[in-house]
Amino acid sequence: MTNREFSENDIHLALDGEMPVEERPAFERWLDAHPDMQARSHRFATDRDRLRETLAGILEEPVPPRLSGMPLIPEEAIKGPPRLFWRSFAAAAILLVGGLGGFILGRMNWGTPLSGENVADKAIAAHVLYASETRHVVEVGADQKDHLVGWLSKRVGIHLVAPDFSGVGFKLVGGRLLPSAHKAAAQFMYQDHAGVRISLYVVRDPGSHETSFRLLKEDGARAFYWLDNGCGYAVAGNVPENTLLTLANLAYTQLDAAVTGGSS
Amino acid sequence: MDDKRRAILAEIPRLRRYARALLRDREAADDLVQDSLERALSRLDNWRSGDSPQRWLFTIMHNLFIDQKRRVVRRQEVLPLSQDVADSIVSPPTQFESVVSREVFEALQAIVPERREALLLVAVEGLTYAEAAVVLGIPTGTVMSRIARAREELRASLDDAARRRTIRVVEK
Repeated sequence: MTNREFSENDIHLALDGEMPVEERPAFERWLDAHPDMQARSHRFATDRDRLRETLAGILEEPVPPRLSGMPLIPEEAIKGPPRLFWRSFAAAAILLVGGLGGFILGRMNWGTPLSGENVADKAIAAHVLYASETRHVVEVGADQKDHLVGWLSKRVGIHLVAPDFSGVGFKLVGGRLLPSAHKAAAQFMYQDHAGVRISLYVVRDPGSHETSFRLLKEDGARAFYWLDNGCGYAVAGNVPENTLLTLANLAYTQLDAAVTGGSS
Repeated sequence: MDDKRRAILAEIPRLRRYARALLRDREAADDLVQDSLERALSRLDNWRSGDSPQRWLFTIMHNLFIDQKRRVVRRQEVLPLSQDVADSIVSPPTQFESVVSREVFEALQAIVPERREALLLVAVEGLTYAEAAVVLGIPTGTVMSRIARAREELRASLDDAARRRTIRVVEK
C-alpha cells in the first residue's frame, strides 16, 4: 500500500507497464476519484489500441524480395553499390519466379516515379469531362469493340485490351483517343447498371519507372494509377476506393498479360 | 555469422511495421528498412551476441531516420501544407487504406518525429522506457516526456480528423 500522490504522468507509466504492481491499486482508486484523469487514461488506451490495430496488418504482409533476399547474398556484394544491386537481383527474380511473383514485383516501386501523378491527373480530367456526357460519351462504341481496341492500340503504340470488368458489374461503353502532351492516350469508358461510370486511361511513357498502385484524389473523382512496362495507367471514377482498387487490379492483370504476351 | 543473419532476417516484419509507422509511405519505409539491413549486415561485428537483434536494428534505423529527417529539413523539402491541401494531393501507398487507418497514419505524421519514435517503440513495439532510451540515445525521463507529448498530439489530430469527417458528411 502506497500513499504517494499521483499525477498525469502516472497514466502513462500505468499504460506502458512501467508502474510497479504494488502501486496499481492506489492508482486505480486515484483514477476513480478523478473522473477527468479516468477519462484521459481511457482515451489514451483507446488511441493506443487503434494504433496497434492499424499497424498490425503490416506484420502479415509478405516481405518484398529486395529485403528478404538480402542476408542470403555474400557480404562482399552488399558493400558494392547496394540499391542498384538489389534491384537487379529483384529483376532477375521476376524471371525466375514469374507468375504471381512477377505480379507482386511488377507492382513495386524501384525509384521516384516520373509522371505517375501527371497521368492520373489527365485521367481524372478526361474522366470528369466525358463521363458526364449523355450522348457523346465515347467516340467508338462497344458494338465495334475489335475496331476500337485495334485502332487505339495502333495510335497509342502498345498492344491494348479493353479489360473485362463484368465481374464487378461494369460493362464497356466504348472508348476514345485523347491527346496527352505530344502523345496519344486511350480512354476506355465503362458503366454499371445504375449508370455509374469509370474509365481506364492508358498512355505510353517509355522513360517511366515502375510504380506501385497509388491513389490521386481530386474534386469529383479519384484515380488509382501505376506505371509499368513503359506505360502509364489510371483507373478513374467517382466510386468507393475499394471498388476502384479492385478495378485497377483487374486492369493491371489483363493489360499486363496483353502487353507482355502480345496477344489477348 | 549465419545465425546472426537469420536473426536479422526474422526481424524484417517488425522493422517494416516500425518504418511504415514512422514514414507512412510504403516505398520510403522499405527503403529505410533496406538501408538499415545493409548497414547492419556490413557491421555484424558491432553486434554483441547478448543484445536483442531487434533493439540493435531499431537503433540503426533510428540513426538513419534522424539523418534522413535532418537532410530533408536542410534541403527544405518539407513545405507546410494545410490539412485540406494535404488531403487533396495525398497518395496513400499501394494498399487501400480505410478512412479510419488513414486517419491514424496522418495523425502519426503530425507528431514531431522524435516523439513519434518514442511512442511507437513503447506503445506498439513493446519496448520498456529503459530499452527505448538506449535505442534513442536519450535519458529514460525524456522517453516518458516525449511519449506524454506524443499522446497529446495524437489525440488532438485524431479529434481533428473525426471533426473533419463529420463536417464532410454534413456537407453531403
